Amino acid sequence: MTCLVVDDSKLARLSLIKSLNIHTQDAIIHQATNGLEAVELATEHKPDLIFLDLTMPVMDGYEALPLLLQESSNSLVVVVSADVQERAKAKVLSLGAKMHIQKPINELKMKEILEQL
Amino acid sequence: MQTYTLTEDEQDVLQELMNIAYGNATAVVADMIDAFASLSIPNIRIEKVSELLSTFEQLKSDSYFFSTQAFTGELSGESAFFINEESANNLAKHLELEDEADLDDAILELTNVLTSSLTTKLSQEMQTEVSFSLPSITKLPLDEISKIQSFQKYSQVIVIDTDLDFQDQKIKGKIFILTKDESILWLKTKLNNILEQLI
Repeated sequence: MTCLVVDDSKLARLSLIKSLNIHTQDAIIHQATNGLEAVELATEHKPDLIFLDLTMPVMDGYEALPLLLQESSNSLVVVVSADVQERAKAKVLSLGAKMHIQKPINELKMKEILEQL
Repeated sequence: MQTYTLTEDEQDVLQELMNIAYGNATAVVADMIDAFASLSIPNIRIEKVSELLSTFEQLKSDSYFFSTQAFTGELSGESAFFINEESANNLAKHLELEDEADLDDAILELTNVLTSSLTTKLSQEMQTEVSFSLPSITKLPLDEISKIQSFQKYSQVIVIDTDLDFQDQKIKGKIFILTKDESILWLKTKLNNILEQLI
């Protein structure tokens, strides 16, 4: 499985990758620090799974999400965000995300995400 | 007096924890006033109080409602919330408030909910607990901001500032979390511990 982890925070990326590594074997994990980098990496690697933050510099998650799906239409996008407002959740789902998960990600949440996909 | 700085990693960890805490607090306030807020990336730095006052003075408006709420514990300090007069009036309109006393009350409650949710979540993420004082509110012209007594007890502060932005209602505010000198070392150790657990 190829994954793309998109977050401007090193802490958030490390934390998510740690949980991901517990539940997956031999996953190839790419990292991006903003939406623009993510679109470039998604175009190149066509990841199976994309974990996407919303509040980022350069290009935020809302802008990146449709571009990611345009460039890598088979990717499943999981939005991982601190923005837990109902309207934010509805917006990302309408843009094509498979789910919206509240930060921070831990081992249990990751297990649930992978089971649901 | 020792001068503290935050490393790039410490700043990253604090920014991410603040992002989580702010997202949580915003959702509570958004629900309370039935509006949707845009979230922005928090700006984090260590400043001398004199520099902080100059930051406050750069806020572009003639007068502000300014409210503060102190918190104590391993992490201790004060949260400060600024909302300019135009935004305060838009808040009054949105909430259909009739007089100034109601507006003061609404801003105090907004501050209380916003800053206590924010600080509670931030301290939870750092595996500690804080207690809160009652918030207080002042309306003052910006050139009198240096007279705010509560800031005089700090020498250096970790400043975490972020915007509260309800675009549809044209309500904007600025939130500062100021930590006391003695909390800075505790905070630096905690941030490094959090990061080390992941590496």
